[in-house]
Amino acid sequence: MNRRKFLMVSTVAASLASIPGMASAQAANGVFDLTIEPVDSEMIDGQFVFSLMFFNKSAEGRPVLEVTEGNVVTINISNLDTRPHGFGIPGIPTASIASIPAGGTATVRFTAPVGGSYLYIDPTLAPLNRIMGLYGAFIVKPKLGTTLAGSATPFSRASHTPALAAVFDAMGTHKRFPGNKWIPTDPERDKLWLFSQVDPLLAARVDAGEVIPPASVVPSFVPRYFTINGLSGYDAAPHKVDETTDWTKGAARIMPHGRQGQPTLIRNLNAGLCTHSPHIHGNHVFKLSDSNASGAVVCAASSYELDAWPLAPLSRQDLLLPFERPGDTIIWPPVDEPFPMRYVMHCHTEMSQTAAGGNYPMGLVTHWEMTGAL
Amino acid sequence: MQTAADWTKTGVKGELTYATFGCNVFQEANFPTPDRVTPDVNVERHMDVSLNLPTPDGKTIRVWTFTDPLAATPALRQASYPAPLMRFRQGQIVHSTLDPKKNAHTLHHHGIEPTTTNDGVGHVSFEVNARYTYQFRPHRAGTFFYHCHRNTPLHFEMGMFGPLIVDPPEGPGTLFSGGPKYDVEKIWAIDDMDPRWHTLDHSSGMCGEDVGLNRFDPKYFLLSGVFNNKTTTDKRAVIEAKVGQTILIRMINASYSVLETTLSLPGVCHGMDGCALGLESWNAPLALPANRPFIISTAQRRDIIIKATAKGVFPVRMRFLNWVTGQVQDSGRGIIDTRIVVT
Repeated sequence: MNRRKFLMVSTVAASLASIPGMASAQAANGVFDLTIEPVDSEMIDGQFVFSLMFFNKSAEGRPVLEVTEGNVVTINISNLDTRPHGFGIPGIPTASIASIPAGGTATVRFTAPVGGSYLYIDPTLAPLNRIMGLYGAFIVKPKLGTTLAGSATPFSRASHTPALAAVFDAMGTHKRFPGNKWIPTDPERDKLWLFSQVDPLLAARVDAGEVIPPASVVPSFVPRYFTINGLSGYDAAPHKVDETTDWTKGAARIMPHGRQGQPTLIRNLNAGLCTHSPHIHGNHVFKLSDSNASGAVVCAASSYELDAWPLAPLSRQDLLLPFERPGDTIIWPPVDEPFPMRYVMHCHTEMSQTAAGGNYPMGLVTHWEMTGAL
Repeated sequence: MQTAADWTKTGVKGELTYATFGCNVFQEANFPTPDRVTPDVNVERHMDVSLNLPTPDGKTIRVWTFTDPLAATPALRQASYPAPLMRFRQGQIVHSTLDPKKNAHTLHHHGIEPTTTNDGVGHVSFEVNARYTYQFRPHRAGTFFYHCHRNTPLHFEMGMFGPLIVDPPEGPGTLFSGGPKYDVEKIWAIDDMDPRWHTLDHSSGMCGEDVGLNRFDPKYFLLSGVFNNKTTTDKRAVIEAKVGQTILIRMINASYSVLETTLSLPGVCHGMDGCALGLESWNAPLALPANRPFIISTAQRRDIIIKATAKGVFPVRMRFLNWVTGQVQDSGRGIIDTRIVVT
């Protein structure tokens, strides 16, 4: 296996090399400066595939845009591609730029809506430009997210349902969940799983300048790579963590990590064209929210505990991984078996577990680690 | 003979690398079960590759499955598809032993929450190339399944799965303590098969070869082992009940399709993915109105209670939808029709 270092090299600026770090972008005065650029993107097996990506000033691919409800957000976009593009956030109709000509710039200004997880995308030629890689996460922190009982949540109180409040109030108080409440300021307790897929043949056609009818994309789509936050398989979890680990970016943003009793939010979004069925081992997750047909965030009327869940294209769901004692263990904490307990999360529609037609498990898979008992 | 535990040769303490994830995954012959205690119940599974199912178009399709060497009769020890049921009581200490007999495999008891070593995923623990006893104590009553987690796309598709039911302490007849009782129980294990995949070898693709496991084009659609040309008549698929009885359907989506199901009788979902609904304040049972389709994706389970209140033949339709196009698989032929017959 001739596997090169994971890099993305811009075809526009040859000196620019970057991973799709998906680092958190903090806006100065609510202003984000983004570019749209063509890149050659290295897949898990060493193959390079043409793609399109949003960058921010620090050359991190697909920045995670984080804002607070009610704040005015300004997004400046420079289109460094040779094709026109656009910008949109489903669920925020005012966050829309119809078209940015090749080489041009555009700005959109809007007020951040209620708390939750959103996707920013290029909605033009849908779904072509999105599946070519023009997507990222837009996260809105609530202005007032606590339940009436004072438990922090990632959702605005006006959106809360009794079920949602019950889940967050149960953490750290219900006999089933000894330990902590969810802590919104701890980056280790806030994870992002942004899924997509890559069809190299489609990418090559776009790179060659072919005009692709948007309606032909879905019927002819043959994904060969399956990604979480732009990463796959072995690359989608950090394999050494210590006090220097930056939990806000890269594989560390993906892998839930902590002790029993440290409930963790997982923002689960699908920018791709496949309906995934993510499956988690070790704990079930609580379904907290969904996106409705117009893209708005809807908190769950009934918070189901699931070990697999359908995630359709463009759907966004927030989940809570309780980090509870794995319920079917016998000796706890284990005596013979060392921590960390390590449990995989993978899409169970198993074609997604491959890369380039084989290479199991180098697809949509990561794992989470429980480092110790209470 | 069990050897002493050497965690450095497993995914627990060994170095995780690109190779140990896939091509050269950790394997163990007789790893000692950590924190082993005396079990309340023992089950055992061997691997079997002898089955060839006759298909509706006059061909055969090879499947792999697990057999139960401890079953009471020779007939029950024969290979079957899906693999034989595991059935436990909530709170029992279970020892589930895998002896593949050939090659390396694992048992993942899906939805069960054991320690990592007992979870059956090779790249974070090990695959079993001789014998291993998985240990757990199910704390939830509900519907689960077990399957091989080596080269999972292929091994799960090949048929290496079986249902796993956990009954509450009061035993079968009650879905979970404090939950609904039932008179008639039916396990619907729903599957689709792409015959191209069924010609591949055990480790196909694991060292990087392109064997096309990203493409899945099913031609066969099965309900609890019955091809869809017989699912309106075969007793493994059809539900039979008498007026006044309560039916429990345990649905397991073992296909690689998005499954859309339409019941012509109203039901209530009382369990999802092995978790009871309505016992805790954050969720409640979910009404499933008659003739309103609902979706379950791969590996999801639903425990559905239906009251048989009137005589009749009540159709059920399952449509297998492609994960990209959303269209019915196999050019519209990916449909299972079956029935609930109330007399």
